[in-house]
Amino acid sequence: MANTFKTFLNSDIATTRTLLHEAIPITGTIVSGTYTSDANIKTFSHGMFEAVYDYPYLSSSANHIFDVTAGYSAKSSLSDSANTQNSKKINIYNQHAQVLYGYDSTGSIQQFDTDGNINAGGTKMKECFFVNFSRLLTKDEVKKGSFRFDLCTSGSDYQDADARSGIKTFGDYGANNEYKVNSPAGEYALLYTASADPQGEVMGHIYYQAGIAVITASFFSGSFGDPDSDDTGGLNTVENRLTGSTITELANGFRYCIDNIEFNNTTELNSTIYFCRANTQDYNYSSNPTYLSASKIRVKNDNPKAEPVSYITTVGLYSADNELLAVAKLSEPLKKSPSNELTLRVRLDY
Amino acid sequence: MAFLDNSGDIILDAVLTDTGRMRLARGDGSFKIAKYALGDDEIDYESYNAGHLSGSAYYDLEILQTPIFEAFTNNTATMKTKLVSLSNNNLLYLPIMKINDRSVLSSPGAAAGFMASGSHVCFVNETTGKWLYGDEIDGATTTGTWNIDANAEGYIDGSAMTDIGNRIRVDQGLDTSEVSPSLVLDPELKETQYIVEIDSRFAKIYDKLGSANVSANPSFIDDDSIATYYFTQGQGGFVGESERGPKTDNPANNPGKETILGPRGTRLTFGLLASTDLVSSNYLFTTLGTTLVREDVTWYFIDSTIRVTGVTTGYRLDIPIRFLKVNK
Repeated sequence: MANTFKTFLNSDIATTRTLLHEAIPITGTIVSGTYTSDANIKTFSHGMFEAVYDYPYLSSSANHIFDVTAGYSAKSSLSDSANTQNSKKINIYNQHAQVLYGYDSTGSIQQFDTDGNINAGGTKMKECFFVNFSRLLTKDEVKKGSFRFDLCTSGSDYQDADARSGIKTFGDYGANNEYKVNSPAGEYALLYTASADPQGEVMGHIYYQAGIAVITASFFSGSFGDPDSDDTGGLNTVENRLTGSTITELANGFRYCIDNIEFNNTTELNSTIYFCRANTQDYNYSSNPTYLSASKIRVKNDNPKAEPVSYITTVGLYSADNELLAVAKLSEPLKKSPSNELTLRVRLDY
Repeated sequence: MAFLDNSGDIILDAVLTDTGRMRLARGDGSFKIAKYALGDDEIDYESYNAGHLSGSAYYDLEILQTPIFEAFTNNTATMKTKLVSLSNNNLLYLPIMKINDRSVLSSPGAAAGFMASGSHVCFVNETTGKWLYGDEIDGATTTGTWNIDANAEGYIDGSAMTDIGNRIRVDQGLDTSEVSPSLVLDPELKETQYIVEIDSRFAKIYDKLGSANVSANPSFIDDDSIATYYFTQGQGGFVGESERGPKTDNPANNPGKETILGPRGTRLTFGLLASTDLVSSNYLFTTLGTTLVREDVTWYFIDSTIRVTGVTTGYRLDIPIRFLKVNK
């Protein structure tokens, strides 16, 4: 019986899981300096965060790369109702803390623990900057051990806008083997200033699946602030800015200090591989109208004993009711005749 | 030591078709890949040069150099010609399908009047039929000198289901004079089931020769409104045996008005019933169709295609069809 379809057997279908990684470099000049008037920075009237794009955001070519915001805990010594946007800063901190760090046994929001050992107590990161990377960049998660952040400890002097100094690199060194799992948002690792033991200071956390970097405000030791804002009275330390500046100004100051960010993202690819087997007696003829001339097979050249030949260009995957659900193309025609057998591995990614 | 030939194992990336995505989104388990087929849409076998002076290695050189398109995601635009598995490697002839143009009941008309060359015209309502014939409507005679009745060659009455009148008929077999039509077609090459695809917005298919007044149910209608029907020999009057014997214009020698020159397989016959949308509204005509004016009367028409595929051999035939409606 002639036929055009072959049914898959159970042994013809296999599933695989592959992790794909892409290197993501974000240079400091993209974040601040490349575009005049910060045309790639989108601010909002609510003033809770600002969004950074890789191109002026009014263009359809622009891609969202990350958001920047800042906040502090209500238990921070800086918290004061007289502060600029005090409740919003607390709100931002709590929002991140409850999602990334969860609640204690009394239902209170946990504070970010510097060494990640919540039960042991220890120091807390009560004033933080948050860098929320776009899903476009992080995909399924940030690759462990790949995150590097070059940040200036001092910068943003209004009178001397180029005055950035003290670049420090911190990253999730050793996180391939050592990472934390006590976050409700998945896995995270500590951001150290050095790769070798001792690994230096902890400057924050990187949450891999959430794609969020939490940086302690204590990282900044020199002047800090929005480079476009007036430096009144020399009160330009990060503490003063946290109390006296808006979140947008804090984010501007933070952006100005960014020198470079690098990480690899991860895409989890689940694939089904269909083994399409063309055995010796399979698919040697064609229903292509050009295959025949007055019903005679062209490739046989009037010789019935000659081998039939066909050329494969396409593989169609069908449902049981013959609906074409997926299609795969070869890069060049593939000759099929009774003297050869082929197995085409067709991968369908999800 | 030479390297192993790994050309027998090839990895290809598949893309979902629009129907595949629709079924996946539906989430009802209808997305399940169960079978596969191989196609050769881009290949022009006329490029096969069996007389190449440089030898057999050059016979298919042009074919092997054919560039291949990227995958189309429209499920009806790809896998149009499939490869076929046959147990006999010594076949020299393969069957085709063609429109029967020997019978006035099934022959498409010549390019004239309302008809394009090689096309059938399906008039969608009774009013259009009366205007074609110049019949009376509400006591008043319609204008026009066409005098085309419902059984004129190439015209199909789509206003009602009836077991008389014109129909579409597709014949299958070896269309060659080199093999006697008295011979029996190899059972392996005989179609016993056909797939018919038609735009469901325009018409339904009904059984013209079997139980008239019963329209067929499509197996499914895809995301592009293309309805797919399966017709099997022995179920209704859609698929019947062709007559054996010579093809002549003498009805006595060619009682079945066969159009295939050589051994014949089966024939597929069906009627068309215009959709309610075409009958009750001009929307599809004004959106997808165009107009023509004959003797100051405006007519709407839509040109479409009915696709017939043989399940056994995978051979496929596109039948042009014009849906016609008078603007009265």
